[in-house]
Amino acid sequence: MGATILQAVFSGLALGSIYALVALGFNITHSTTKTFNFGQGEFLVGGAFIGVSAVLLLAGKGLGGALQPAEVTLARYGGGLLLTMALMGLLGVLLYFTAVRPFIGQGGLAWVMSTIGFGIIIQNTALAVWGPSPLVIPSPLGDEVIRIGGAGVLPQEILVLCASVAIMVALDLVMQKTRLGKAVRAVAHSGAAATLMGINVTAIVVLAFVVSSGLAGLAGLLIAPITTASVFMGLTLALKAFSAAILGGLSSPRGCMLGGFLLGLIEALVGLWHAELREISIFLLIILVLVLKPEGLLGRRIAEKV
Amino acid sequence: MKTLIQRAVKATALAAALAAGAAFAQDIKIGYNADQSASGVAELGIAGRWGFEAAIEDINKAGGIMGRKVVGVVRDDLGTPPKSIQNMTELIDNEKVSAVVGPANSGNALAWLHIPQQKKIPVVVPIATGTEITTRYAKEAQNYLFRVSMVDREQVALLGAYAAKSSKGQKIAILADSTGYGQGGIKDATDILALHGIKPVAVEKYGPKDTDITSQLAKIKAAGADTVIVYGIADGTAQVLRSMEKINYMPTTLGTWGNLSSLLPKMAGTKLAEHLILAASTTEDTNAKTKALGERVRKNFPTLTTFPCAAQSYDSVMLIAAAMKLANSTDGEKVAAALENVTGVEGVIKTYNKPFSKASHEGLDVSDFYLARWKGDAPGRYEDAVTKALTPADLKK
Repeated sequence: MGATILQAVFSGLALGSIYALVALGFNITHSTTKTFNFGQGEFLVGGAFIGVSAVLLLAGKGLGGALQPAEVTLARYGGGLLLTMALMGLLGVLLYFTAVRPFIGQGGLAWVMSTIGFGIIIQNTALAVWGPSPLVIPSPLGDEVIRIGGAGVLPQEILVLCASVAIMVALDLVMQKTRLGKAVRAVAHSGAAATLMGINVTAIVVLAFVVSSGLAGLAGLLIAPITTASVFMGLTLALKAFSAAILGGLSSPRGCMLGGFLLGLIEALVGLWHAELREISIFLLIILVLVLKPEGLLGRRIAEKV
Repeated sequence: MKTLIQRAVKATALAAALAAGAAFAQDIKIGYNADQSASGVAELGIAGRWGFEAAIEDINKAGGIMGRKVVGVVRDDLGTPPKSIQNMTELIDNEKVSAVVGPANSGNALAWLHIPQQKKIPVVVPIATGTEITTRYAKEAQNYLFRVSMVDREQVALLGAYAAKSSKGQKIAILADSTGYGQGGIKDATDILALHGIKPVAVEKYGPKDTDITSQLAKIKAAGADTVIVYGIADGTAQVLRSMEKINYMPTTLGTWGNLSSLLPKMAGTKLAEHLILAASTTEDTNAKTKALGERVRKNFPTLTTFPCAAQSYDSVMLIAAAMKLANSTDGEKVAAALENVTGVEGVIKTYNKPFSKASHEGLDVSDFYLARWKGDAPGRYEDAVTKALTPADLKK
């Protein structure tokens, strides 16, 4: 029984770290522009496909090739990760200038539609380039199950967990300790005031979109060895990540992380009891949190002065 | 995007053909309607399409049907019932096809069965396995729905027989994905096990996109099952096998023919893929013809090929062609009646001797199926003491 629960905890943490990473992407753009990229799931898809293709090219194979485990070395995988983040970052700039900036400050919700549309364009481009079949990429760390206390975990799952935690801690440090972080927080607090203080608000906002899209790309390639890169994987993941952000608090990076891990753990532990109740319990919890603490578990209540 | 361009090309080709006039009117049109781009099933639909086109090529090389050229009209149903319905209407009313091959999704077939039935256009289903597809109109004067594919209940009959014979304590569990496909599978598998006098020790579900199925497997393990029937398609099953390895629980694992997709060994690794024993209608190693068709299809679609879909589509077209020749007509009513009487039709899976009758519209049944297993990157026939001991009486359905 102990091993079973431990297994569920491991599985939950591995899942949760992905939700947390994508949720963080929602948090970053929300805090600077009060918008999010509703195409975040498709950015994840784009990242996964670009990443797998990059590894294919680095291994000297064509785009239609199949990767053997020996061909996915850490160096190639790492190279693929960097390339993916760079390209997805660029895509983030494009997203901001075409789909978000024109609508900022307007009362309507035009950006909701335009970011969803942007995501659909990415998804269909991926479909046209790579076709409907999922792309398989073996883990650079191999497929041997590691046993801890009777529970099994894949090396890639440990990598995803460690990488996510490292990135979150690094982002947290940047936000709390550096001038750049202070500038971002200043923009988040009030764009107009930040401008008066001599902060280049546009640059900060663009940076937010670069980081958010880069994170989605990173998450895409990190999970590809576990889920395969599939054109259709984006929506479910993004929905869970968005739920995690709501649960933990959209305005708080730490809250987003907490929300992600909580969601992953609930999924795994409730599944142990009754698989059908997983989604029900997650969304019941979210509704409950929204009623009792609408700003999320770690979110700050913003006092509106009139 | 791709399909848009393809459509534009096709439209131009159509216009050119229309301009050609009289010669065009002579052609016999057969439609193909299946998902080729929008879901996990698309891979099956594409493989089926190459088999469909290969058959038409062969028929035309041999002089066509009644001296007339055969033209394939291909439509993508995007995996959704509304689009599939629209395609059927368009194929029958605008394109005036004489017969249709498709679809891949059982749900799509169930959504439009009434259309060919009312318009008297024979349909041969090459991929979808839902039991009801050929039975809904079985009692009408003429049932226009035929199938050359595995049938859910028939493949479960084989899996159930194997499970009942191989499980020592008769402790069998069912694990199915949460789609309509998996849910139908739970019902069929429970019914068939009951015929063997067995009640499953556990019935669990998983989401088709779940990456971790350890909690469900832990419950199955706790229930003491030594045999698990997994009802899902390749990507889901791959995750089931991975999760089994994680919790170090490797019971006899049986699966459906959807696992003949090369996605299974790619995702689960060859070692884990070999653990699964699955029901198959045909594999490329069946005979020289299957081998040749496999190589031909792979030229068009080298990365992922679910071979049985290509073979079943190929045979579907061959049966339609034979029926048109027998009826000496392309009239739907006559062709459907002729399908029930064709015999000695050379397909790649087998030679069809009176495959259909008034009572049964299944071209393949459990006696054509066998158990298979992945070996490296190709599936092949699987035999052990249990399969050798299976008798026709064991195949309860």
